[in-house]
Amino acid sequence: MKLAIALLAALAFAALPLLTSSNYVIGVGISALIFTVAAAALNLIYGFTGLLSFAQLGFWGIGGYVTALTVVTFGGNFWWGVVWAALLNAVVALAIGYPTLRTNRHAFVIMTLTFALLVTLIARDWVDLTRGPLGIPNLPKPSAFGHHFATTGQFYWVAWAFSVAMLAFLYALCSSRIGRTLVAIKQNEPLVRAQGIAPMPYKLSAFAISAAVTGAAGGVYTFHLGIIDPLFLDFYYMQTFLIIVIIGGAGSFWGVIAAGVALSALPEVLRFSADFRMIIYGVILVIAMFVMPTGVAGWLRERQLNRMREQLR
Amino acid sequence: MTAILHVTELRKSYAGVHALDGVSLAVEAGSITGLIGPNGSGKSTAIDCISGFQKLDSGKVVLAGNAITGQPAHHIARAGLMRTFQTVRIYERLSLRDNLAIAAQQFDPATWVDEFLRTRRYREAVDKAEGRARELVELIGLKRYWEIETGILSYGQKKLVALAAALMPHPRIVVLDEPVAGVNPTRIREIEVALAELNRAGETFLIVEHNVEFITNLCHRVIVLDQGKKLAEGTAKEIHSDPRVLEAYLGMTPEMAEAEMRGAA
Amino acid sequence: MTVDAVYLLQLTLNGITLGLIYALIAVGLSLIFGVMEIINFAHGELLMLGAFAMTFALPVMGLLYWPSLAVAILAIMLVGLVIYEVLLARLRPDEFERSILITLGLSIIIIHVMQYFFTATPRLVDTQYGFEGVSIGSIRITFTRIIGAVAAAAAFGGLYVVLRHTQFGRAMRAIAQNREAALMVGIRPRVVARNAVVLAAGLCGLAGAAISPIQLVTPYMGQFLIFKAFALVIIGGLGNIPGAIVAAIALGLIESWIGGFYEIIWQEAAVFVIMIAVLFVRPDGLFKRGGMRVG
Repeated sequence: MKLAIALLAALAFAALPLLTSSNYVIGVGISALIFTVAAAALNLIYGFTGLLSFAQLGFWGIGGYVTALTVVTFGGNFWWGVVWAALLNAVVALAIGYPTLRTNRHAFVIMTLTFALLVTLIARDWVDLTRGPLGIPNLPKPSAFGHHFATTGQFYWVAWAFSVAMLAFLYALCSSRIGRTLVAIKQNEPLVRAQGIAPMPYKLSAFAISAAVTGAAGGVYTFHLGIIDPLFLDFYYMQTFLIIVIIGGAGSFWGVIAAGVALSALPEVLRFSADFRMIIYGVILVIAMFVMPTGVAGWLRERQLNRMREQLR
Repeated sequence: MTAILHVTELRKSYAGVHALDGVSLAVEAGSITGLIGPNGSGKSTAIDCISGFQKLDSGKVVLAGNAITGQPAHHIARAGLMRTFQTVRIYERLSLRDNLAIAAQQFDPATWVDEFLRTRRYREAVDKAEGRARELVELIGLKRYWEIETGILSYGQKKLVALAAALMPHPRIVVLDEPVAGVNPTRIREIEVALAELNRAGETFLIVEHNVEFITNLCHRVIVLDQGKKLAEGTAKEIHSDPRVLEAYLGMTPEMAEAEMRGAA
Repeated sequence: MTVDAVYLLQLTLNGITLGLIYALIAVGLSLIFGVMEIINFAHGELLMLGAFAMTFALPVMGLLYWPSLAVAILAIMLVGLVIYEVLLARLRPDEFERSILITLGLSIIIIHVMQYFFTATPRLVDTQYGFEGVSIGSIRITFTRIIGAVAAAAAFGGLYVVLRHTQFGRAMRAIAQNREAALMVGIRPRVVARNAVVLAAGLCGLAGAAISPIQLVTPYMGQFLIFKAFALVIIGGLGNIPGAIVAAIALGLIESWIGGFYEIIWQEAAVFVIMIAVLFVRPDGLFKRGGMRVG
């Protein structure tokens, strides 16, 4: 049922470039799609597995740079760039995940934050590799099978296909036994162990997969922007992903998707002042944490549960 | 009868205190064995060490002939020793059905590839687990909550769910950590009946408890711990009249204890 | 490569000053974590507000250092109080992720409000001491640096006295060590938590005010320092105050030495590398989670 609605929505989204010729609107559409993918990846590690990871920002940035460098420095094509972005991030996630996931959850959160900031520093200071604050401009739009996705409208379909593929993959994962195990780990890890399941491989896999997906998303978005520089690692992106997950409902696959689509339009609406926009973000975050910590999906579920409680009396 | 669980000379100290000071015990297959003792006697530590939730300093634990000493908790569970927890542990935000499905998940041969492709192996495993789950749910009398989130159940009902989950993978032995602590009397009786029935069907239990009546009614053998050592062992009746046991618990004389027991009988 | 002893000494002195500043921030974080089991993401902003408070107080006080410092510290303690009463008081100890997100939101709000009203243009702070300083051989240290270091050390001395010898200090240690037991004995967690937050805010305010003559004041200054403070708290062991101080000073020295000989990227990366290394070997931090052991 939900799947049917989702499929219809996906098709409707595909039609966007046919309905408007405004590059601005199409750009918003691309942001909506890509940010939703990144938020869904964050949802996998935070909502489902219960691990608050700020490392997503680092993966997003690494993904962007790897894709750009693949094309510009190593002469590869965009598609391979995205694949490398995913693979490299998965490896990095495993490398930093292994020591951090063995510690307590406090250390994990802080480690991920430090990682993200470290990536920002590398982007800014390792000039030989990343060209520092100047960044890498003039990224060419991709081609496939002789077709060049030159305009924003055409690139939109690349972003669309990517997003649908990623979300389908994440959906399959979240509704599988693996997804269920992640949820169990989040709710009651000692019980999971007592039931014969080793939690570490699951946590590492979730972390690596969310890193790969976020990295790939970063790669695609970079080519939409046409340039990558250290600003790509601005904390603003992390906040956007976080707010989508929180408002949608951490742990709810469809909640986060709905929120992602709805909220991605928000930054554009608040474009008039960068500071003011951030203040609003901060306020939303604080208020949501008090009023709706489980997001819209959580609130709906609570209502459903209460009704059930009444019935069972 | 052979011992399904054989524990030898368990030792564990923290900060200079000997929580376990050379505890040895054996649980016969198909029996219900009780493990009792005053607070601080080491019962919970013993359970945690046996099930892999705490590291033991020395000693051996053998399950059905296989050494499981010092292995991580999930290995021990897979070897066939399932346990429940003193403060009940279930997946509160999942349905009863999902709770039991997860409990069986590690024990079937289907992998994620099987699941993705929906192979026969996967479908058979799921059906088998569901069959077992429905049986157990019937036994604990919670059929109407099959699709309901277990978080809304009462404390006693949750304990029943935890028990059912522990039984899902046909374990060799189930270790219950205070199964009726904090549960109201009617529910205690239900749990007693369920355990007795399961035992008749062949399940082996090791039960840690404070509730004397519960232990007396159910257990074939009772082991008493005190200050990290085994104090006494025997049938429930023998334990009741053992002066060392009464002394350890309450500093009671046999006469006082008699009066207590008569009241509870 | 021959190492110039004088250069090394200069680096060491800078490192110690830097370390003391890190320590002021890390100790505050540790204090709050020990008592409330939450990480305060807005901690760096308290430092930044302290620095800004100094920039406003100094001209009013005729560039007199000590009165301005006092005003700045008091102002930030007040801010800490408000933050506690409005936001933090409602958090329970097991709501770690929620506390991070709330204080993160707060941090965003504070930074951008400051930026909105005061712009990101860095400010220079002038004090009665100007740029005067002390010269030892070819090493020069400004008075403001020395005073900053002394004030920090004095603050730690004071903190030690408070934790060891006052009832309030004992209450904080009790809660950090064993919350339930402390509650049973009648210690009121709200009062202790509030005081801990105000105290931590004061330390941050001191740090910010002390740095303001030494380095440029911008709305983002707290952000650069805070992630190191987080790492220090982890390395030293969550809730362990001496651990945090030792780790902080060590980091200050290491960063200063590395910065003196290698590229800046390694200086910044140092803290991260150290943190990973420590966590590999000792997942609970270098020192035991001692529930605020004081000695």
